[in-house]
Amino acid sequence: MTESTRILSIEDEADIRKFLRSTLGANAMTVIEAATGKEGLQKVTTENPDVVLLDLGLPDMDGMDIIRQIREWTRTPIIVISARGQERDKIEALELGADDYLTKPFASGELIARIRVALRHAHRPPGDQPFVYDYDNLVIDTAARRVRLDGEDVHLTPIEYKLLTVLARNSGKVLTHSFLLNAVWGRHVPDNQTYLRIHTQHLREKLKDDALNPRFIVTEPGIGYRLKP
Amino acid sequence: MNESRRSEGRPDPDKLLALVAKSAEGDEGKSARGRLKIFFGSSAGVGKTFAMLSEARVRQKEGRDVVVGVVEHHGRQETLALIEGLPLLPLLEIDHRGVKVKEFDLDGALSRRPGLILVDEFAHTNAPGSRHPKRWQDVEELLDNGIDVYTTLNVQHLDSVNDQVARLTGVWVRETVPDTIFEAADEIALIDVSSDELLKRLAEGKVYVAEGANTRAAQNFFKKGNLLALRELALRRTAERVDAQSDELSAAMGRDEAQVGQKIMLLVGPDPLTTRLIRHAKRMAVRGRSNWFAVYLQSDRHEQLDEKALARVEHYLRLAETLGAEIVRLTGGQPAADIVAYARRNGFTRIVVGHRRPPWWQPFRVPLSQQLIERGDGLEVTVIHGDRTDDTHSQPLTSRLAAFVARPSDYALAAGGVALCTAIGFPFRGLTPSDNLAMIYLTGVVIVAARLGLGPSVLASVLSIPAFNFFFTQPYYTFNFYDTYYYVTFTFMLVTSLVVGSLTARLSRHVRLVSNRERETQILYGLTRALSAVRGVDRMCAVAIQHLSGPFDLGVTVFTGGSVWPDDTLRADMKELGAVEWVTANHRMAGRGTDTLPSAAGLYLPLLAENEMLGVLGFTPRDAARQFTGAEILQFETFASLIAGALQRARRADEAESSRVDSENEKLRNVLLSSLSHDLRTPLTVMNGSVSALLRMRKELPRKAVDELTGVWSQLNRLQKFVGNLLDMAALTSGRMKLNLQPYMIQEIIGAALAHVQAGKEQRTLRTQITGALPMVMIDGALIEQVFVNLIENAYQHTARDGDILVRVEKDADRLRVAVSDNGEGLREGDENRIFEQFQTGQTVSSDRSGGTGLGLAICRGIVQAHGGMIYARNNKASGDGRPAGASFIFTLPIAKDVS
Repeated sequence: MTESTRILSIEDEADIRKFLRSTLGANAMTVIEAATGKEGLQKVTTENPDVVLLDLGLPDMDGMDIIRQIREWTRTPIIVISARGQERDKIEALELGADDYLTKPFASGELIARIRVALRHAHRPPGDQPFVYDYDNLVIDTAARRVRLDGEDVHLTPIEYKLLTVLARNSGKVLTHSFLLNAVWGRHVPDNQTYLRIHTQHLREKLKDDALNPRFIVTEPGIGYRLKP
Repeated sequence: MNESRRSEGRPDPDKLLALVAKSAEGDEGKSARGRLKIFFGSSAGVGKTFAMLSEARVRQKEGRDVVVGVVEHHGRQETLALIEGLPLLPLLEIDHRGVKVKEFDLDGALSRRPGLILVDEFAHTNAPGSRHPKRWQDVEELLDNGIDVYTTLNVQHLDSVNDQVARLTGVWVRETVPDTIFEAADEIALIDVSSDELLKRLAEGKVYVAEGANTRAAQNFFKKGNLLALRELALRRTAERVDAQSDELSAAMGRDEAQVGQKIMLLVGPDPLTTRLIRHAKRMAVRGRSNWFAVYLQSDRHEQLDEKALARVEHYLRLAETLGAEIVRLTGGQPAADIVAYARRNGFTRIVVGHRRPPWWQPFRVPLSQQLIERGDGLEVTVIHGDRTDDTHSQPLTSRLAAFVARPSDYALAAGGVALCTAIGFPFRGLTPSDNLAMIYLTGVVIVAARLGLGPSVLASVLSIPAFNFFFTQPYYTFNFYDTYYYVTFTFMLVTSLVVGSLTARLSRHVRLVSNRERETQILYGLTRALSAVRGVDRMCAVAIQHLSGPFDLGVTVFTGGSVWPDDTLRADMKELGAVEWVTANHRMAGRGTDTLPSAAGLYLPLLAENEMLGVLGFTPRDAARQFTGAEILQFETFASLIAGALQRARRADEAESSRVDSENEKLRNVLLSSLSHDLRTPLTVMNGSVSALLRMRKELPRKAVDELTGVWSQLNRLQKFVGNLLDMAALTSGRMKLNLQPYMIQEIIGAALAHVQAGKEQRTLRTQITGALPMVMIDGALIEQVFVNLIENAYQHTARDGDILVRVEKDADRLRVAVSDNGEGLREGDENRIFEQFQTGQTVSSDRSGGTGLGLAICRGIVQAHGGMIYARNNKASGDGRPAGASFIFTLPIAKDVS
């Protein structure tokens, strides 16, 4: 990270803010603190942070409203921090435009890793631009419409290819089921996850990926899928 | 978790599962009523038993559990050959006055619980001492217990055609079956052969004719004309039933034809002619597909009836009820007007009434039938004439005379009354015209009539004439008189006193009737008020007993919730307790005066409120010879429903109270748990973050500090799991947890769970074994992941650092079965279920990672059960080398049908 990486922490618990400050500071990041939602929203505009860490359990505002308001005018990555067992909140946050989530309590290594993924996304070319994904001998070249695994071509159906490229474009980020359904099949598709499961299963088979011990596609139970890293 | 384990041979969980499934099936079977199929024929010898056995064999081949309850084979070879191979239920031997009688063993059948049982001769009368007087009642109980029954029946045993058969064939059949039972049968198979064929079989000796039966009667019975008539009856009865069924069908489909038919009122009285009326009305109702009501008018005459006549009335009402009529009891003083008014008000179209020519001494009495015809404008009145020879075993005269039957002392008092009148008048003799003195006698007659009734008043009337003559007309002290005009005086005196006397007697009877009713109402009112004033089952029972035992001179007992009130009345009489048990099981009354266990000392009524069985109410007369009248039983039923309502109120109140306490406790606990979890989580997050940040700098720290930090780190992890579990458990037990069911391949969930448990794995091997192609399951992915995490972490805790853990998944019929097995210490005996309870950790056995929260497995159970699956634990089979084989935790998940 460069000196200029600025993290906005919207968190009502002073102790957690302090911990974030020391952990992130040790990793050469600058922490801007906000104790309330209002203050947080204000600092998003004035301080222009690189990543926002948002606790969903703020006393003054609903966390979802904060995400909605931030997303009205900026694509700054948002990582939400929530308690365990609140999968619905996580999905809602992700669908409103949050980039990732962390479940309390979390280790500092996990926090740093998530911030790095989020930063990488922020610097990636948007939407339809061609890109190349290269991880663990899987190479996806969208300009050439080509997928190679361990040096050999993989033949995918159009749906499988679309699914893989959507995952790859957002690699490292959890994509919710309904986001994937929309992105691959379009808006008119009924909310039927069976399609998604079946095609993901076929895709895994072709990528020699094992759901039990995933090499590429990771299942996030109750939320969606994520392509490594 | 911290369950101790020991390798022991445990029951095979598959067998357990099968057992559970079987008992579940059993429960299901119990709730559904069994099906009744009647093999119906026109007479003996048509082959009903043969047909029944043949069909039973087919059912047995199809794999059904068929048992022969009782079959009358009469030694016929064909029948015996068919019984061969069917399991027989042993008959019960009943000792009746030294004679051993073999009867169908109802209790044997109920405990054997076959799928289908054959019970021949539906109309059979059981030997005295059996539970029910009739076999069809045994069959009813079998059906109520969910057992299917095949039985046989001849048309002449049907109640409603009983008299027709008697008139046709001249043979009275005493064993009858109510038509309602016949009509309620699920299936009727008509076994029909032509009369010629039947006669041929008879000639060949293939038809059983009852031993000792009058051969001539039998010959009369099996005449071709009779057989044709019976066959027609059987065919028609079957056709009528088919009609009734198609009506039900069309009613169910919205075409309600049965309702637009007639509504028939049948008037019931003590006259034996009523039996014929009932059967006639029944046939009318069946043909017209109409509702029919048996109405009994409790007029002044009701009070005059003797015991026998009252018993007859009750018998007729019950007969009508078993034939499908509804029973109505009216009270009124003017029979014809009251009946017509009731009929108009309730939309009756037809009245069926009996008619007898009035006796010679009542030449001016207009019979009820005629009054009804005159008043019943717009109503159809069907009059059935009763002057036939077969109805004359009645004694209408004696019932009329009943009014005159009073105690001899009453007559003596009446005579005394006349003597008193004489004594009062005597000083006035000569001072006033003797006509005035006649008034004294009239007054006496009125008083006698009011006090002693009609009979004594007539005696007083008759005696007062010679007394007046003897003492007050000249010449005194003779029965002669000078003035001829005394003829007129005597005649008018007699007529007036008779009329006034009978009117007064009737009036006072009426007053008594009204006051009886009032007393009844008062008891009811008192009971209602007393019951509503007290709380608690104990006091309600005491109040009920106190209010009922006094006025009726009865022992009253209440059985509810496993206790008996009053406690000192519980006599250890098996028969009484048997009756109570039967009532509890069947929700119908039993005991004295009923068809079930009539030899019991008491009458037992179910305490039913809104189909909830709350207990049993017993009435035991102190006088062992006393029989209950129908009116009394009706009254008792009212009391029972009143008490049941009160008991239900009491029970509801108790339940509401305890659930309020429960829910408040629950609420408190949840608030405590979630605030605890929240307050713990914040410092944990901070500590976790700080320690992990410190550990990332391990190279810059002294070695000793790194060791200490590692210890803090591992304890922190435990604390985090504990807090997480607390939160999960709070969500699970509060019922706030809603499943977010989505289709998943179970491998995906296992993969995610494995990623979560890498940290604690150390040197253990963790293998996964998937058998066959697995279908998708509808599950809440995050929660099932939690189940895997908890089970695997539990396995870590109970295995050595180099332990072996195996996760196996296989498809088993309509579910997935997942087993997490380890090679640790195994479960302690008796812990297999206990470990799934909250805060149960069992005994710690050689674990360096002790400290389970006692919640992990309880959470697993909660989640799996919410998914409709089951979870259990067992020890693995020992390999025989003395080493512990470890334990397996197994759970199932139902496979979604609509996910392909």
